[in-house]
Amino acid sequence: MSIMKETKEPVPAGKPGVEEASAGTLELKDVSYVYSEGTAYEIRALDHISLTMPSGQFIGIIGHTGSGKSTLIQHLNALIRPTEGQVLYNGQDIWADDFDRKELRGQVGLVFQYPEHQLFENDVLSDVCFGPMNQGLSREEAEEQAKKALLQVGFKEKNFKKSPFELSGGQKKRVAIAGVLAMNPRVLVLDEPTAGLDPKGRDEILDQIAGLHEERGITIVLVSHSMEDMARYASRLIVMDHGKVAFDDVPKEVFSHYKELEPMGLAAPQITYIMQTLKERGLPVDERVTTLPEARDSILAALRTRGGAL
Amino acid sequence: MIRDITLGQYYPSGSVLHRLDPRTKFIGTLIFIVSVFLFRRVPGYAVATLFLGAMIVISRVPVKFIFKGLKAIFVILLFTAAFNILLTPGETVLWKWKFLTVTKEGLVLAARMAVRLVYLVIGSSLMTLTTTPNQLTDGLERLLRPLNRIHVPVHEISMMMSIALRFIPILLEETDKIMKAQIARGADFEKGNIIQKAKNMVPLLVPLFISAFRRANDLAMAMEARCYHGGDHRTQMKPLKYSRLDVIAYVILAAYLAVAILFRVLGL
Repeated sequence: MSIMKETKEPVPAGKPGVEEASAGTLELKDVSYVYSEGTAYEIRALDHISLTMPSGQFIGIIGHTGSGKSTLIQHLNALIRPTEGQVLYNGQDIWADDFDRKELRGQVGLVFQYPEHQLFENDVLSDVCFGPMNQGLSREEAEEQAKKALLQVGFKEKNFKKSPFELSGGQKKRVAIAGVLAMNPRVLVLDEPTAGLDPKGRDEILDQIAGLHEERGITIVLVSHSMEDMARYASRLIVMDHGKVAFDDVPKEVFSHYKELEPMGLAAPQITYIMQTLKERGLPVDERVTTLPEARDSILAALRTRGGAL
Repeated sequence: MIRDITLGQYYPSGSVLHRLDPRTKFIGTLIFIVSVFLFRRVPGYAVATLFLGAMIVISRVPVKFIFKGLKAIFVILLFTAAFNILLTPGETVLWKWKFLTVTKEGLVLAARMAVRLVYLVIGSSLMTLTTTPNQLTDGLERLLRPLNRIHVPVHEISMMMSIALRFIPILLEETDKIMKAQIARGADFEKGNIIQKAKNMVPLLVPLFISAFRRANDLAMAMEARCYHGGDHRTQMKPLKYSRLDVIAYVILAAYLAVAILFRVLGL
């Protein structure tokens, strides 16, 4: 738990210089949230959370079911109001009377788990236009944004006029993500965007999200169960447990605490376990490796220094 | 938001009332409602109040929850009282303006109707607070079973009821989710006049209907896959059984009903 305090000013800024420094900074100050307060079903979902999410980071959030991840991200665009504490966007309290929360939702785009359930229009393009048109754009301007967003998530132009209900699961998901992306957010929050997809579709979507992070320079907040995905994409990893932040650091550091992660129902990527075992058996590898390519390099290097086959 | 709305607002406290057979509670509620209409004067309502108060104490449900149900009928209550006061003809006229008259009879009638309505609501919410919706439909199915003889599909009706009840919280949750997802895309469900508001509901209703139909279809398939074919010769996992507690409850209820009838005969 100690590293949480040391890394109060969070570690690596993902893409510095792409955006002006302060725009798009989200800050949670001592936020608590209680469901059904004062009834027999009272649940404390968030317990005094303080976090800063500067612009341009790729932040991963993991945690066991019921650890408060979903509640946390709904605070970021003012969908729920904290029971206690403050949420600040660019230093302004988003629950102040004169704060434009509708405007905020354009800036902080939130894509829910199973976003395909929110599709309702006759064709894909109109559905993606819904967001930008709510921001006050004309149909033409909205279509322009929508087309851009759809192409960026890898949706083919020939399918623009199809009904969203004829599409496959992966395509629906892309349309739904584009629906939020078309609003030009500075922060894109995705709640398990790969739930219910096959491995190929999963990798494609995650690569496209990482691409968005590069191209548009926007902050990405990704909620996921997969440690491998986190190790591969996130530059900063927040671990939630029982409504509290258990760890907040670069993934490598977080996963080196894998023994503490296990009681929370989490684990390090499988490759980290393999490396741990190799090290215990006497091969001098870096046991904190979290991705496959790193592991390959580390093992090859170790073999070379030993000068021979294992 | 929406998750605060609870239908079938079961409040678990494990009291004696919770442990009674749902049939007993159902018949008990019926007897109480009948008694409220049998009583006509203050002494009678004193008995009803005493009975209801005792039940509330036994149920160990916080009073706050019991009176919650009254909020919903407040308007109806106001209207009934107003119409009864203003439009009842009578002998002792207290106040008169055109066709509106306030009579002593009107006041008495209004008071009686108000008390009856309030007791009716409190009595029945006491039942729903102490009985889970599933127990309720089980109880109802058993009580209505004799109707099978005249080809009323009792089992099917109660199955539909329990499925509907089961799906209310799910659909509410779904509504909440879709609403939030569309608000995140800048939708506004509060702004504008009635027509505008109705139009704004489309992004909520279309996904909601699609999801409801999908769920219904999935459920039907899952039931068929397990060879469900209606109520004939179907046994229950937890068959309803009267215990000694229920016998005692029926004795008390019978005594209460006797008192109510006696009061009516005596004109109290």
